[in-house]
Amino acid sequence: MMFWRLVFQLLRRSRGRLVVAMLAIVSGAAVISALLNLDLGVQNKLTQEFRSLGANIVISPANGPPTMEGAATPSLMREDEVLHSLQRLQSPQVVAAVPYLYIVARTQDTPVVVTGTWLDQAQKIEPTWKLEGNWISSRDDESHCLIGRAVARQLHLAPDGQLKLDYVNRTTQCTVAGVVDAGGTADNQVFANLHTVQSLANLPGQIGLVQISVSGAPENVADYAARLAAALPSGAQLRPIRQVTEAEGSLLGRIQFLIISMVVLILILTAFCVLGTMAALAMERRKDVGLMKSLGGSISRIMGLFLAEVGVLGAVGGLIGAILGVTLSYWMGLRVFGAAISPRWEIFPVTILLMIVVAMAGALPLRTLGDVKPAVILRGE
Amino acid sequence: MATVVEIENLRKEFGSVRALDGISLRIDDGEWIAIMGPSGSGKTTLINILGGLDSPTSGRAIVDGTDVARLDEAGLTRFRAEKVGFVFQQFHLVPYLTALENVMLAQYFHSTTDEKEARQSLERVGLGDRAEHLPLQLSGGEQQRVAVARALINHPRLILADEPTGNLDEVNEQIVLNLLRELHQEGHTILMVTHAPSIGRLADRRIELAHGRLAQISATSLKPEPV
Repeated sequence: MMFWRLVFQLLRRSRGRLVVAMLAIVSGAAVISALLNLDLGVQNKLTQEFRSLGANIVISPANGPPTMEGAATPSLMREDEVLHSLQRLQSPQVVAAVPYLYIVARTQDTPVVVTGTWLDQAQKIEPTWKLEGNWISSRDDESHCLIGRAVARQLHLAPDGQLKLDYVNRTTQCTVAGVVDAGGTADNQVFANLHTVQSLANLPGQIGLVQISVSGAPENVADYAARLAAALPSGAQLRPIRQVTEAEGSLLGRIQFLIISMVVLILILTAFCVLGTMAALAMERRKDVGLMKSLGGSISRIMGLFLAEVGVLGAVGGLIGAILGVTLSYWMGLRVFGAAISPRWEIFPVTILLMIVVAMAGALPLRTLGDVKPAVILRGE
Repeated sequence: MATVVEIENLRKEFGSVRALDGISLRIDDGEWIAIMGPSGSGKTTLINILGGLDSPTSGRAIVDGTDVARLDEAGLTRFRAEKVGFVFQQFHLVPYLTALENVMLAQYFHSTTDEKEARQSLERVGLGDRAEHLPLQLSGGEQQRVAVARALINHPRLILADEPTGNLDEVNEQIVLNLLRELHQEGHTILMVTHAPSIGRLADRRIELAHGRLAQISATSLKPEPV
């Protein structure tokens, strides 16, 4: 009891000086807890950001993906078999899973790549597309289609225009709902209802590709991909889109390295700030220590008081800093990712512990008090 | 009567300065000794060695059976906590602790604290109503009485008082001297450094130091000493 009574009085007496150390600890703890909270939360946020790049897994026929050039004799898969596998492995991780069938049809005597797909899922699987006109909201809508920007320009088409597609001896027609600006190969394609394209090409129930967008950490995505690969029918194979997954892993690794480096740097800087204050405090306390020694105080008991004092300083500063830091990371999440990063409760004990260690490290100058000679101090030297 | 302090050929040198030069002395249990002499004669050095605050260069200084000269740092710390109680001229109270906490601090370093006993110790020196006051809120005399209460709290075998009235006015000087007289009557052994002959005469024996040596011993009941 007397121990904490003395610690409290020490804190009260030196509050002027300790405010400086406390500010350093609170600031350090705030930045560190914000960074740690970001580090833990950024993985989810970045994964969500990466999902905006589109699919990260594709399912293609086992003998290779269909090429547009080879569309006349494409390698195909059974739509019902593949979708059945996907349904069996239903997971909240799957943002979208969309089948495709590519054919080369003709319109106005011009060959054009026609992609049959679930048009209601186009926005989810291709979130970077810009669209002039309207998205198609119904999977069963066979009367509307989307066309790429280059196709629209070549055929002088705009939303609400009519597009006639010929394939061998079959014909279909659709109304252009919107013009896609994808900045890639999609600009040269026509996107029509999957069933319509299957009928046009006389390939009922056949698909050439499934694109899947899976959210979650890279290891979670890999785990899902492995389970899906095992569940697929023999005629289908699964491939991760390496550019996306590798970029994701690499970026996450770099961000984590950056955050850990900054945490270490801030810990060192905070320790130096505390060190400066404690060096001044050590000078002030020489007389107190001399007197305590003359009363029979062992250096371990006296230092125990001072270390408890800096420990309390670290713990209180760490707690205040952690609260500020988690609030800061919440705000940073809103600013950077457009969604708040929720507080991770494990941040609080970690930050408090780090700050206690830093405060103790910063209290090294107090060790010099061990050499104080009571007779010298009491003589007033 | 049992001997509490036995000093043999005690020497203390600070570089080339010889502060104590072969002092031998014996103090019996319950004696009140006044150590006198001019500045620089070695009075405070002697009291510091007997209190375990300093170590002699050579010789023996036995207090309550313990040779202070042979103690290491940890031994000196225990010695200070258990065997002696200090009263300094400058009071040396911890300024941010109350009178009560200053007394309890000595208890804390000795063993465990007992607030009730610490209050009784303050009441004993007439400061029961000032227990919660900080040193700054107390007069010099009151601060010195707190220091006396602190010195007594662990029931030491030897009370070492270095000019205990040196910083006090006449009224407070009398209060503190009366307190020391009471302690003496209760059987405490007191070793007091003073410049004032009038105060020295209150002691059983007066020991004069000069240039680190015993110059004279006078007493109401003189005991033979090896000078």
